[in-house]
Amino acid sequence: MANISIRNVSKSYGALNVLQPFSLEIENGEFVVLVGPSGCGKSTMLKILAGLEPASGGQIFIGEREVTDLAPGDRDIAMVFQNYALYPHLTVRQNIGFGLKMRGTDKTEIDRRVDDAARILEVTPYLDRKPKDLSGGQRQRVALGRAIVRQPQAFLMDEPLSNLDAKLRVHMRAEIGALHKRIGVTTVYVTHDQVEAMTMADRVVIMQGGLIQQIAAPDELFNNPANLFVAGFIGSPGMNFLNAELRDGQLTAFGQQISLPRATTHQGPVVVGLRPEHLTLGEGPVTFRVRPTLVESLGSEKYVYFEAEGARITDGEDGKSKGLIARVSHSGTLPRNEEIRLGFDPAQLYLFDFKTGERL
Amino acid sequence: MRRTFAQSLALYATVIFTLLMILFPVYWLVVTALSTTNELYRLPPTFWPADPQWDIFARVWAAKPILMWLWNSMLAAVGSVALSMLVSVSAGYALSRYSMRGGATMGLFVLTAKMLPATLLVIPLFSIFSSFGLIGSLWTLVLAHSTMIIPFATWMLKGYFDTIPKELEQAAMVDGCSPIGAMVRVVLPIATPGLAATALYAFVLSWADYAYARTFLVNSPDNWTANLGITTMQGEYVTYWNDISAASVFIALPIIAIYLFLERYLVGGLTAGAEK
Repeated sequence: MANISIRNVSKSYGALNVLQPFSLEIENGEFVVLVGPSGCGKSTMLKILAGLEPASGGQIFIGEREVTDLAPGDRDIAMVFQNYALYPHLTVRQNIGFGLKMRGTDKTEIDRRVDDAARILEVTPYLDRKPKDLSGGQRQRVALGRAIVRQPQAFLMDEPLSNLDAKLRVHMRAEIGALHKRIGVTTVYVTHDQVEAMTMADRVVIMQGGLIQQIAAPDELFNNPANLFVAGFIGSPGMNFLNAELRDGQLTAFGQQISLPRATTHQGPVVVGLRPEHLTLGEGPVTFRVRPTLVESLGSEKYVYFEAEGARITDGEDGKSKGLIARVSHSGTLPRNEEIRLGFDPAQLYLFDFKTGERL
Repeated sequence: MRRTFAQSLALYATVIFTLLMILFPVYWLVVTALSTTNELYRLPPTFWPADPQWDIFARVWAAKPILMWLWNSMLAAVGSVALSMLVSVSAGYALSRYSMRGGATMGLFVLTAKMLPATLLVIPLFSIFSSFGLIGSLWTLVLAHSTMIIPFATWMLKGYFDTIPKELEQAAMVDGCSPIGAMVRVVLPIATPGLAATALYAFVLSWADYAYARTFLVNSPDNWTANLGITTMQGEYVTYWNDISAASVFIALPIIAIYLFLERYLVGGLTAGAEK
């Protein structure tokens, strides 16, 4: 186990910068998740850390040792790949023991450690099978076994759960968390799934366009997002955003003047953020009337979609925007197009700079 | 889904027709070998000789140095396969895995050698080989056949390596392999079907050659290959087609044996299980 120090590591292909200078100190035994949309540079950073891609600049230390120019096999790290990358021509036992064999470990020692790893990951009955005879979850366990058997300084995981179905993913997420607690190896985990990031990480690094947006613990990210991108990325459903005008501590939004409880000297246009779960049905410190355009029922909860002046609506996953969202506790029926009242506490509003998107 | 009777009929008819197309020449070769000379020129032709001349094989084997011809063909083919595989595996792997300046152009340029007919290359090859004093040696065939095999084999293997996920080598390198070690220990074992298919292609190409052998070896009877040897059995005034057919059967046998041997390696799908 070791701490990892990434100092100003960058990557560019010709004129194309895929990774802006990236610095991160990872504590010994820490579980750090790099998260962001496709193409944000998170996988590139992980490959540089593994030595599978050369960095264009910067330094990497694992423990006290500089590894920037070392081959992957000399860095004493283990990696779990998205597609598992199990050797199809070898049995599970040979797959798990491959790294030890490459390092010239004694045969009986390999057997002992493979058996230990197999027991921890509950793959002992499959040791003599080939990867093609295993299910997705079993393959993922074998890939983890190949990583833990070497007792490396650090684990690097590149979207290890994204090939699994939803139920298995939740299960394996918990298993990886438990495994990390059990063996306590420093782990860098890459995912595009904010739920994985929030549930597994000690600290989350949010990236976009090759640039770190924020590094913080999961709750801190949720409660204190540094900018519009982080605020919109973390949370499900995502934060509502409205363009509004701020004058002398008075905000004009939802057709009314709202007094902000926190003092701010900022004047002019701002972006207001409000989490869907901070909206309540009925009266609140601030109340406004809307006609829902769509109501989605999750049983005890409803997602109420509505429109409001100044709403900044980004297209959803299906390419269609459904409007602003309120996530309210309500088990009855809410008729569409019938006016309802929604309330919120202005203390729970987030304000962002209109031009830079930085939190005010 | 169950097939209807008409679909089954069409399917079997197609299979039988295809089989007939492929097997008829082989059958006719055997019939020609077993027929007497008179029977061969009879019209309408007989589809099975009245008195099969089974002893023809022994007679031809005794009269002609067939074993030596086969041995020479084998040496040339094995040498060509070995040399061309050595080059094609390295080149195909490099084209598949490493992006280099002008790599794609270079890859395509390699193929232009394949576009030229063998007869066009005979003359320059002859002059090169004679300046090295190689004319009459089997090395001429190994080198000449390799020039035909390598371009196509390189592309066959590149295509096969492209189907093997890069993550397998990356995993091997994280596990402590060098880039060459990852190729030898992980990629090549997985690529066995591709290697077998390419080796077979190379072997058949070399085995079937006549033009190069005729040009480079004609004055060295001890180095004649099977194809070259057989053509010398054609007489100026009389040709015994039954003798030639019997010799041809001997020459076809090794190829059939090699197909049967390599068939189990030609099955794809070995990478199943590497990924989800």
